[in-house]
Amino acid sequence: MDGAHDVGGMQGFGAVVVPGGDVAYQEPWEARVFALHMLVSIQDLGGGPGGRPTREEMPAADYLAASYYQRWLWSAERRLERKGLIQPGEVERMMERLWDGEPDLRRDDPALAASAVAEVRRAAPMAPASGARFAVGDRVRVRRMRPARHTRCPRYVRGASGRVERVQGLDGLPELAAYGEPATPEPVYAVAFDSRELWGDDGRPPWTVVVDLWEHYLEEAPSA
Amino acid sequence: MSDPGAAEPRPSPGQAGASQAGASHGDHDHGDHDYGDHDYGDHGAHRPLPATDVELRARALEALLVAKGLVTTDAIERVISYYEHDVGPRNGAKVVARAWLDPAYRQRLLADGTAAIAELGYGGAEGDNMVVVANTPTVHNAVVCTLCSCYPWPVLGLPPAWYKSLPYRARMVAEPRAVLQEFGLELPAEVEVRVWDSSAEVRYLVLPMRPPGTEGWDQERLAGIVTRDCMIGTAVPSVDAAP
Repeated sequence: MDGAHDVGGMQGFGAVVVPGGDVAYQEPWEARVFALHMLVSIQDLGGGPGGRPTREEMPAADYLAASYYQRWLWSAERRLERKGLIQPGEVERMMERLWDGEPDLRRDDPALAASAVAEVRRAAPMAPASGARFAVGDRVRVRRMRPARHTRCPRYVRGASGRVERVQGLDGLPELAAYGEPATPEPVYAVAFDSRELWGDDGRPPWTVVVDLWEHYLEEAPSA
Repeated sequence: MSDPGAAEPRPSPGQAGASQAGASHGDHDHGDHDYGDHDYGDHGAHRPLPATDVELRARALEALLVAKGLVTTDAIERVISYYEHDVGPRNGAKVVARAWLDPAYRQRLLADGTAAIAELGYGGAEGDNMVVVANTPTVHNAVVCTLCSCYPWPVLGLPPAWYKSLPYRARMVAEPRAVLQEFGLELPAEVEVRVWDSSAEVRYLVLPMRPPGTEGWDQERLAGIVTRDCMIGTAVPSVDAAP
């Protein structure tokens, strides 16, 4: 969906290099939310689409205002609710109990912990590309679209023409696969765009932006 | 030069109370808390809370799931520990140093990044489909994820906050030279900057150029100058970085 997460090219966010920005976790609780979210996925505790498409459903103003791991906390709760494992209001009641001094409960299961780590070590590679409509060097154009669902086609490349740089492999279209719907694996291409095609020529030295795009997003570029 | 790190936490937009986030909510002597003033029902339950409450909320979700027997405490701690100690940019630096010393490995790395990285024992989630892009005297590569925060965990660990931040995601594709300048990296005008937006399941690693002055160095010494940012593309290795 065309939500607040699709920020490529936006202005007004300020500096990249800021004090305190060089660490993975800016608050200790963020590490626990990261791990908790991983376990929700690994142990199949989440309902509906995964963490990333769920975060994209956050109200746009909330998404922009939230910190990175606040978004992860939000998506973990939504996924657990969809699975029916927690009910709305339960987290708030637990907050009150902890606030009132109830100690944090601890429960360990070394075998389960070991299997969780084994799971994050497991790789799920794409199948090698076959039956690709486009070849390296072909000129392609990104389709215009306004998808209601999760998409991996950023707004800033739609309508732009580029050159196929690599054929990466086969993968299911996120618009279907993210919702657990059947998605015949299709070629994914790395498409290289000249910066002037994306942003116009304003006299700066041009650069190249390479974006990975599913075949569904592409059409033949019109002849120049 | 590329380390923007200072000690104080950075309040995010809309997080006016971020400095309070580390305060202990279990401290009953903390008299000015406003926890009871929040409305956690209806709309409140589905909206992110102010930063002063988010730590408590995270604790509560964990406590709730542990109480329900859905997750275990040591699993949380093992996953945190794995991403703090078992993976990180030292892995990627070994890959780069090996490629600098071994032309056949470099060739395999550029032809099939996933397999060549697996030769050194690295792989797994967010490293399933690795593509390694090599800097040359005429091309400088850099990596971003405009839609999210995709990053090659097995070789670089978890990304720094700036990589996941809205300014980096927004600006890197639209003004990469300005962003690189913030990191202190000035590239000659004739060098082509190539920005890789990790929009699918491929994860990118930049293979930087081996700097002059490292002739005769062994793999370990070379790996010592390959910083995380060199492999994202916001820095280049320098002999000045040698330990």
